[in-house]
Amino acid sequence: MLLVLSADHQAHLGCLPRAGGAGGEQAPGRGGTGPESGETGPGRGESGHRAEPRSFGGRTAVRGALCPAAKAPRAPALCVFFKGKLNIGVDIIQHGVEGLVYLLTESSKLMISEVDFQDSINVLGFSDELNKSLLQLYLDNRKEIRSILGELAPRLPSYHSLEWRLDVQLASRSLRQQIKPAVTMKLHLNQNEDQTAQVLQTDPATLLHLIQQLEQALGEMKMNHCRRIVRNMK
Amino acid sequence: MCVISNSFILDDPDLKDIDPTVLKHCHAAAATCILEAGRQKADISAISTCLEDCKLDKERIEQFCTEYQKNKDALEILLGSIGRSPLHITDVSWRLEYQIKNNQLHKTYQPSYLVTLNVENSNSGSHPDVSFSCTMEQLQDLVGKLKDAAKSLERATQM
Repeated sequence: MLLVLSADHQAHLGCLPRAGGAGGEQAPGRGGTGPESGETGPGRGESGHRAEPRSFGGRTAVRGALCPAAKAPRAPALCVFFKGKLNIGVDIIQHGVEGLVYLLTESSKLMISEVDFQDSINVLGFSDELNKSLLQLYLDNRKEIRSILGELAPRLPSYHSLEWRLDVQLASRSLRQQIKPAVTMKLHLNQNEDQTAQVLQTDPATLLHLIQQLEQALGEMKMNHCRRIVRNMK
Repeated sequence: MCVISNSFILDDPDLKDIDPTVLKHCHAAAATCILEAGRQKADISAISTCLEDCKLDKERIEQFCTEYQKNKDALEILLGSIGRSPLHITDVSWRLEYQIKNNQLHKTYQPSYLVTLNVENSNSGSHPDVSFSCTMEQLQDLVGKLKDAAKSLERATQM
């Protein structure tokens, strides 16, 4: 499946080969305050990618653009730095960065193959070396980008862990001399990075019923029906 | 203590000749006696002694005790259910789904379970259910822990 880049996107990316004159300059390393700096919504992408020194200007721009801090609300300081190093306007750098981010996140989201990626960027008319560099970038960062995008999906509270305890109620205000066994549990759930804990109780009969039902649930995955669907969906 | 309505006493045609105030006092006294006997798990001889002290005749004491014996178990269950406790799980339902894609990420291809625990509040009766999603490994972890709890329950009963 090919990635279709609109005219705007192509124009933005067009700045990459023009970013010449960097010579032996080193693009800055992981700038800013680390991967958490300024990720804003869907722009959040290549956090943690380390910029490496390159002598070829275009590749410098590509690598440098992937500094985490570059994703900060259009970190003006960094853009100005690049302006100085690469001799191009701040706006153009910004657009270039945005274009690159879009290219990589869309490709990772759709999980397009190498061949498709190469065909998609051929339309931009870059040099072979730049194309290869972009492809390598895509392949290197694809997994990480996908795991970050995966966290953006809508989610229900998810299971974290369960603690349990056996209790026997011996008496209460309303009734003396009881023997009432119960299992008290603390269910830890994750909801949007908050951990909640809920205290629940159940009696032995219900506990056995719960176990039976959930074992049935686990067994379903191994049934032929599910296996067939999983096989055919790939 | 639970509120015991005495309207059926006041409406009973056999009792309409008796002064309603006296009737209410009798009803309250009898109810208190029964509840106290239930709470202490008193046996028949203790109840008889108590009623003798209140100057009831033998026939009435016998009638009272027979009726009490008949309803003792139900009374104990009722009294035992009064009181606060954490949310009580009554049932579980589950759903197995296979994720294909979402608007942020395509080709996710992952199975996941949605488990809902039906819970009851001892005071108000109903409570929104506890729902959560989990992967197969997490569900296996959960079931493993529940099985541990069941095993130690079994061991405790054999002590």
